[in-house]
Amino acid sequence: MHKSVSTIVLSLSLAAFVAACGGEAETPEVVPEPAPTEEPAAAPATPDDPGLDMEALNDAENVALVPSPVETQKALEAAGIDTQLASLIPDHKFDLANADTDHAALRTGVVLADSLLTVKTSKKEVLLGRLDQIRQGMTQLGGGKDIDATLQDMRDRVKTDAVDREELLKEFDELSGAVIPELKFNDNERVVPLIEAGSWLEGANLVAKAVKDSPDTGAADTLLKQPAVVDYFIDYVREEGADKAPATVTEKLEASLKTLKELASKTDPLSADDIATVIQVTDDVLALL
Amino acid sequence: MPKMLITALTPAFRALAFSALALCTLASPPAMAGESEAETCLRAKVWDGYNEGWGIRTMTSSELAEGKTRNYLVTLYKGNEYQIATCGDANVAKLDVLLYDTDGNVVTRAKDVNREPKIEFTPEDTGTYYIVLYLREVVSKKHAGAAMAVVYK
Repeated sequence: MHKSVSTIVLSLSLAAFVAACGGEAETPEVVPEPAPTEEPAAAPATPDDPGLDMEALNDAENVALVPSPVETQKALEAAGIDTQLASLIPDHKFDLANADTDHAALRTGVVLADSLLTVKTSKKEVLLGRLDQIRQGMTQLGGGKDIDATLQDMRDRVKTDAVDREELLKEFDELSGAVIPELKFNDNERVVPLIEAGSWLEGANLVAKAVKDSPDTGAADTLLKQPAVVDYFIDYVREEGADKAPATVTEKLEASLKTLKELASKTDPLSADDIATVIQVTDDVLALL
Repeated sequence: MPKMLITALTPAFRALAFSALALCTLASPPAMAGESEAETCLRAKVWDGYNEGWGIRTMTSSELAEGKTRNYLVTLYKGNEYQIATCGDANVAKLDVLLYDTDGNVVTRAKDVNREPKIEFTPEDTGTYYIVLYLREVVSKKHAGAAMAVVYK
C-alpha cells in the first residue's frame, strides 16, 4: 500500500514535470511585432484561397507598391515608345546642403532614379557625381555606416573601372529595391516613402515627356495612371512629423500629387493637355529641390 | 548556401551581407534566423534571375504564423512580365502565394504549394493588385520566416 502510494506520487510528479517542461525541447520563440494584415484564415483541405475580406486586403503593406524606374522604361518600350528616358533627364541643380528630411529624401529619390536609368550609358564623372549625391543624402537621412561603406565601395570601383555597368545595374537595382527600403533611418518612417516619391515623380516627369508627342497610343494611360501609388505618397506628405521641409516644398508636393491623383483616376484616356499638366506639376516639384 | 552567395557578391555587399547574416543568426532570436534563411534563399534566386533578364522591383521578408497571411499592395504594368518569387525557411511545409484584384477576386495563384511557390503573370492592363503570402502549414514551430520578391522583365 505504501509502495503503491509512493508510485502514484512519483508518477504524478513525473507527469507534472513533463507538463511543465513541455513535450519537446523548443527554444522560446520571440515573436516580432504582429503583422498588420494577419487575419484568422480558414484551413481548407484543398488549395483554395484564404477567404480574405476587403478589410484585410486594404490593410496591406506598401513595400512592393511603387514600380522602379527601369521597370517603367521596359513598360514604355512594351507600349511601343522607344524613347530612352535617360535621354530626357535634365541637368538638375539640386540644393545638396539642404538636410531637411523631406527635401533630402525626395532629392535622393530623384538621383537614384536618374542613376538607375543611366548607369549603363553615363560618363564616369556623371555617375561618380550621382553616387556622391546619393551618399550625401543617405548621410543627411541617417542611413548608417553600412550603406555609406557600400556606396563608397561602388564609387571606388567605378572610379578605377573595376566593375562593368551590367554588374553595377544589378547592384543599383538591389540597393534601390531591397537594401534602402529596409534601412531604419533613425526610425523615421517618412524617409523611405519620400525617397520612393522622388524616384516616382522623376519617372512620371520623364515618361510624360516621352509620350507627349504620341498622346493617342495609350502609353500615357498605361504608365501614368497609378492612383494607389499617388494615394500612398499623399498620406505620407500629410503626416505630421519632425524635420519636414518648409511649407513651400510640402504644400507644392501635396498640390502636385492631388493633381496627379485626379488625372490617374480619370476614366477617359489622358489627353495631350493632361500629359502637359503632368510635365508641369512634376517640373514644379523638382524645381524646388 | 549563405557563404557561397556571400562569396559571389562584391566586397562591400559581402561586408553588408556578412554583417546582416552575423547579426541575424548569431545575435538574434530564432525567429529572425528563419527570416534570414528565407531571405538568403530568395536573394540567390533573384541574382540567378538577372542572368535571364529579370530585374528586381522589391524584396522583403517577414515572420508568419501558421494559417495567417501577409498582404502586399502592388502596381503592375501592362506589357511587362512579372514573377512573384518566394522562399520559406526550413520550418515551412506549405507556403502559398496568390494575386488578388482590388475587388477581392483571385486573379492567379502559384501552381505548387510548397516551400518556394511562385506566380508568373503578365497583366493585360496596368493596375493595382494584392499579393497574399499564406503560410498554410508548418513543420513543427508555430511561426516561420518567409521572403517575397517582385521581379520583372
